[in-house]
Amino acid sequence: MASAIEIAIEIKQLTKVYDGKVNALDGVDLTVKAADIFALLGPNGSGKTTLMRLLTTQFRPTAGVARAFGYDVVKDDAKVRKIIGYVPQEMSVWTDITGFENLLIYAKIYGVPSGQRKKSIWDALQSMGLDEVANGPVKKYSGGMIRRLEIACALLIKPRILFLDEPTLGLDPSARKAVWENLRSFKKEYGTTVFFNTHYMDEADLYSDEVAIINRGKIVKFGTASELKHSLHSEIISFSLADPGTDFKHPSTAAAPPRMLPGILERIKALNFVEDAAFNDSVLDVVVEDGEIALPAIIEVLRCDGILLDRIRSTRPTLDDVFLKYAGMRQPKTQGEVLHEASGIRQ
Amino acid sequence: MAFNDSLREMFAMIELEMRRLRHDRTEIYTRAVQPILWLAVYGTVMSHVRDIPTNGIPYIDYITPGVLLQSTIFVSVFYGLTIVWERETGILKRLLVAPASRYATVIGRAIASGVRAVVQALIIFPVAILLGVKFIPNPLYILAAFLMLFMISGGFAALSIFVASLMKTRERFMGIGQAMIMPLFFASNALYPISLMPPFLQSIAFVNPLTYAVDAVRGLMISGNVANVPADFVAVIVFDILIFTVASISFRKIIE
Ligand SMILES: Nc1ncnc2c1ncn2[C@@H]1O[C@H](COP(=O)(O)OP(=O)(O)OP(=O)(O)O)[C@@H](O)[C@H]1O
Ligand SMILES: [Mg+2]
Repeated sequence: MASAIEIAIEIKQLTKVYDGKVNALDGVDLTVKAADIFALLGPNGSGKTTLMRLLTTQFRPTAGVARAFGYDVVKDDAKVRKIIGYVPQEMSVWTDITGFENLLIYAKIYGVPSGQRKKSIWDALQSMGLDEVANGPVKKYSGGMIRRLEIACALLIKPRILFLDEPTLGLDPSARKAVWENLRSFKKEYGTTVFFNTHYMDEADLYSDEVAIINRGKIVKFGTASELKHSLHSEIISFSLADPGTDFKHPSTAAAPPRMLPGILERIKALNFVEDAAFNDSVLDVVVEDGEIALPAIIEVLRCDGILLDRIRSTRPTLDDVFLKYAGMRQPKTQGEVLHEASGIRQ
Repeated sequence: MAFNDSLREMFAMIELEMRRLRHDRTEIYTRAVQPILWLAVYGTVMSHVRDIPTNGIPYIDYITPGVLLQSTIFVSVFYGLTIVWERETGILKRLLVAPASRYATVIGRAIASGVRAVVQALIIFPVAILLGVKFIPNPLYILAAFLMLFMISGGFAALSIFVASLMKTRERFMGIGQAMIMPLFFASNALYPISLMPPFLQSIAFVNPLTYAVDAVRGLMISGNVANVPADFVAVIVFDILIFTVASISFRKIIE
């Protein structure tokens, strides 16, 4: 018998109002599965940090409940603190001592037994690739090294849940990649649940099992990255039609014969994985759910009708588009806008 | 067990401060310069003024306890700056998410500040001997004097942490710190006997814990008049307990 999926974090109607006026969280419902990497994606000021600080027992919610492995973050806060690791958004290590010493102090605070202490510390340092600089003063570390040291501090106790508030903020792409590779292998080894905040879409896309998008204190979308992308329904395939005479005539007199198209358009629309199709300016846009399946069939239809193709371009929705759509920050001329308009041809 | 956890955390905090001190030893030397100047310059000049009734004790000897305490308490009173800095960064958030009680955090750090004060006094002490200050050669008295120094410095560090948790920003904290430090010294018996003060200052000196610390250290190190010392210790212990409690209670608020 398959056992039920274990839940790491369960949040119900969580609300936080700062100083009686700022509605930072507005009834958040969320469930994070154990041993998942979960990304909370949202624009600045959307409440990501607030949610993480509530989950890490830093203050009380105005209303609602949240549990970490069954422990209430308000009532059982002491127990919650024992099973979580946390890296705040801001810098959080002492810079006037060495990297090793930072971990040593935390090892002592957490009561790692003295026999295991050295090993745990070096393991954590190694898993973040810091073993060579560990005995140098943190003052002399680069931003990326400091971030990795902070994560190493949080890994020290092998927490059941690791909370990371924008873990790769300010890191260059290769440093980001290194951090994530280290985190993944750590997660694999210890089955840690990772909950991270970010506004890097690609990070959520590449590394998370599930994503929630938060906007103005509300979860506006939840699912796996590919589910979210699919929720936009569409991949758009644009076919630039070649005029048969293009090669011989002056380009200004050449145009695809529109009268040929209505029938074809109908036939393409009739294909069962095609959601919509539209034609203008010698470009045929077809909205499909899955381009890999739809493309051969569409080409077949076009070929039967003797239509020559000049170019095919496919636009897949990225998590950016999802983000821009649900976080309500669409700006003209972004990919999201084009896509949105394109999917609008169905109506 | 919760008590063990707290103890462990306290020691970790003390160790942290000690390691910091070790990485920046120059700080402790530079901080010793000012009190040594006080003794060497102010003490020598003022000793020619006959009007300060010091019960026959040379003036430089008379002010040595006050100067020792002044220099160490100055450091304690501004200890809160460290806390403000840790608040501005994410250090405090992370520390408060660790399984440790706020009491342990506050008390551990106050104690650490007390240890720092003792180290600093140990540097000034031999210089004072070189300047001709005559200490009572009783190791027990000296030890008790250092204990007092430790307790009062820890207390003021806790007071400073308390102020930091209310003020939260560096600027506001500095303002309060500066405003505290002057009356603290001038409304105490550090530089002259209380009897010379106007009644208004006298009443401040009476509730100023520093007065009791100076009285004890002066009795133990210089005058040998230890009749009041037990009472002084009681006063400082009461101050410590009160301020440790208040600072601990307000500490969690600092990250809100
Ligand atoms: N301590 C606080 N006191 C009052 N208001 C706060 C506090 N912390 C955050 N806020 C407000 O709550 C809202 C949510 O802030 P939060 O820091 O949770 O956003 P965020 O999603 O983490 O943003 P960012 O991506 O910029 O880190 C904002 O309007 C912010 O101004
Ligand atoms: Mg944030």
